Amino acid sequence: MASKKKRTPNVQNDSWVVVAADSVIDTQKPDSDPAFVRLRNPSTDAASLYMLGSGDVQLYEVKAFGEDFHSWFVGQTVQRDGRLLFITPMDPLYLILPYLITAGKEGKFQPVDQVVMDEEFPVCSRLLSCTRSLASLHHIAEEKEVGSQKFHRYSQEKTMNWLKKKVERTVVALKKRNISVGEGVKSTTYVRMKSESDYHEDDYLRYAHGLISEYISEDLSKALLKHLQLPELTSPKETEPPSKKRKLSDKPVEAGEDYTKFNSADFLRKPPKKMTAAQKTLAKVDKTGMKPMSSFFSPKGKAEKK
Amino acid sequence: MDLSPFETDNSVSCRLASQIPDVCKMEDCCLGIDEAGRGPVLGPMVYGICFCPVSKKGDLKNLKVADSKTLTEAEREKLFQNLDEARNYVGWALQILSPNTISTSMLQRTKYNLNALSHDTAIGLVQYALDSGVQLKEVYVDTVGPAEKYEEKLSKLFPGVDVTVRPKADSLFPIVSAASICAKVARDRVVKGWNFAEDLGEVDADYGSGYPNDPKTKAWLLKYLDPVFGYPQFVRFSWSTAQTLMDSKAVTVHWDDDEEDGEKSAQRQKNRSMLSYFGASAGGNDQNPTHQTHRFLTERRLTSLNTL
Repeated sequence: MASKKKRTPNVQNDSWVVVAADSVIDTQKPDSDPAFVRLRNPSTDAASLYMLGSGDVQLYEVKAFGEDFHSWFVGQTVQRDGRLLFITPMDPLYLILPYLITAGKEGKFQPVDQVVMDEEFPVCSRLLSCTRSLASLHHIAEEKEVGSQKFHRYSQEKTMNWLKKKVERTVVALKKRNISVGEGVKSTTYVRMKSESDYHEDDYLRYAHGLISEYISEDLSKALLKHLQLPELTSPKETEPPSKKRKLSDKPVEAGEDYTKFNSADFLRKPPKKMTAAQKTLAKVDKTGMKPMSSFFSPKGKAEKK
Repeated sequence: MDLSPFETDNSVSCRLASQIPDVCKMEDCCLGIDEAGRGPVLGPMVYGICFCPVSKKGDLKNLKVADSKTLTEAEREKLFQNLDEARNYVGWALQILSPNTISTSMLQRTKYNLNALSHDTAIGLVQYALDSGVQLKEVYVDTVGPAEKYEEKLSKLFPGVDVTVRPKADSLFPIVSAASICAKVARDRVVKGWNFAEDLGEVDADYGSGYPNDPKTKAWLLKYLDPVFGYPQFVRFSWSTAQTLMDSKAVTVHWDDDEEDGEKSAQRQKNRSMLSYFGASAGGNDQNPTHQTHRFLTERRLTSLNTL
């Protein structure tokens, strides 16, 4: 009865459940549909999925909500993966930034279309078509105009100021949405006694910095942390909650709780006994009021039965 | 017997009852409890109570009610009619537990087994009789589980009522036989005229007795097995017969309370050992080992994709 269920690997889908603003699929130019593209993720340096809106005017990032044991019923079909994709607007500057940094090492002013190039991800040049891209390059680079041509050179200082603004705006958003940023409790469904006002500005800054770090390289993230004048969390000691203060008293010091029982061998993570799947299922059944099998075979039980 | 309250929605539990005879509210009464349809994989389980004044026990015997199992369907219908005609001193009440109720009770996260469900239903019916003003003095029950324990449980719940729990009570006490007839008649009628909530078109009604070992029932179960949904609500999903067939023939469905081997499933679910939270690098689980996904994203189970 309790046969073990085998998991079959997720097969490739040709449909997805997506949450996106209507504007994402607005076709602004007649023959250019919005398209999923693979671009270099500035934070991981690996490929990630993005979306370019119609005419490449807007960049979107694609995030997937996925948890075990979820599936969709879509119309008259079942979608095996319970994933929910979110397509949300994204500042293309984050993706352009790594290319400018690399080119900036040469210290020269260069035309940006010669900088944003990637053999692995040729699509990246389309990032420059986004409305915001060229107009906001001055946030991360110095500009020089020679004739009708514009040249750019990466500026760490400008970038830090730009990222700082991003962090500050994120803090505003975090406060507005009541996102809990405190250390320790990691459940979003947990009801907090502490009101949000108890969090320090630093907590918000650090949290926002962490979020922005999802969009920049590790080096930049560290530099930004310095720029924000937040101390770097390196040693595990600092991530630990502060130890409880022991009250001073005249009484002799005694252990408050006995943890020695946890040291015994059978308190390891492994289940104490190996049971088969069938035994486990059986063990879960509520057996109140049920006779054991053996009772039917004992002489008395037999007499009772018939 | 008007079954329409159940037939309008056969996915839930439903109570049907006769008028309470006036004499039952004045005189000391005895009450019998019995059930029909405990074993079948198909259809509802029906709990019945029958009650009459203690002084009328003899009259009940004259109605020749006997253990419903020894009777044919026609005989049972006749006897139910006799009971109905004796409505000035015999009352009854039924609780129809739909197969869906049984399935969802037994398969929910906190398992609610059939015995507990049976006990609670019986208790509910006795309470109903008391609430309706029946002067209960004696209660007779066919046992579910160990008789002594059940008797003790009922006696505690209903102080002042003399509770007798016996195996085979339906053949020992006419009032229990009467209850068993009410229950059986109701079950037969409900099963015969089952309204399928599902859109199955013309349903083949030849499902035999409904007991798991009946070849007709097995054939019917095979025929109506849907790879995604399993069975119509007419089938008790919690029965091993139904489960075995679904395990072998239907699509595998995983629930988050499915037991799997501890470590393995933890790994598969990408759960981390509690200890890792105390280590130096508590963080996400990305493809890139140096990159830690921010907890805003991990808490919300959001990940980046690299392909669709």
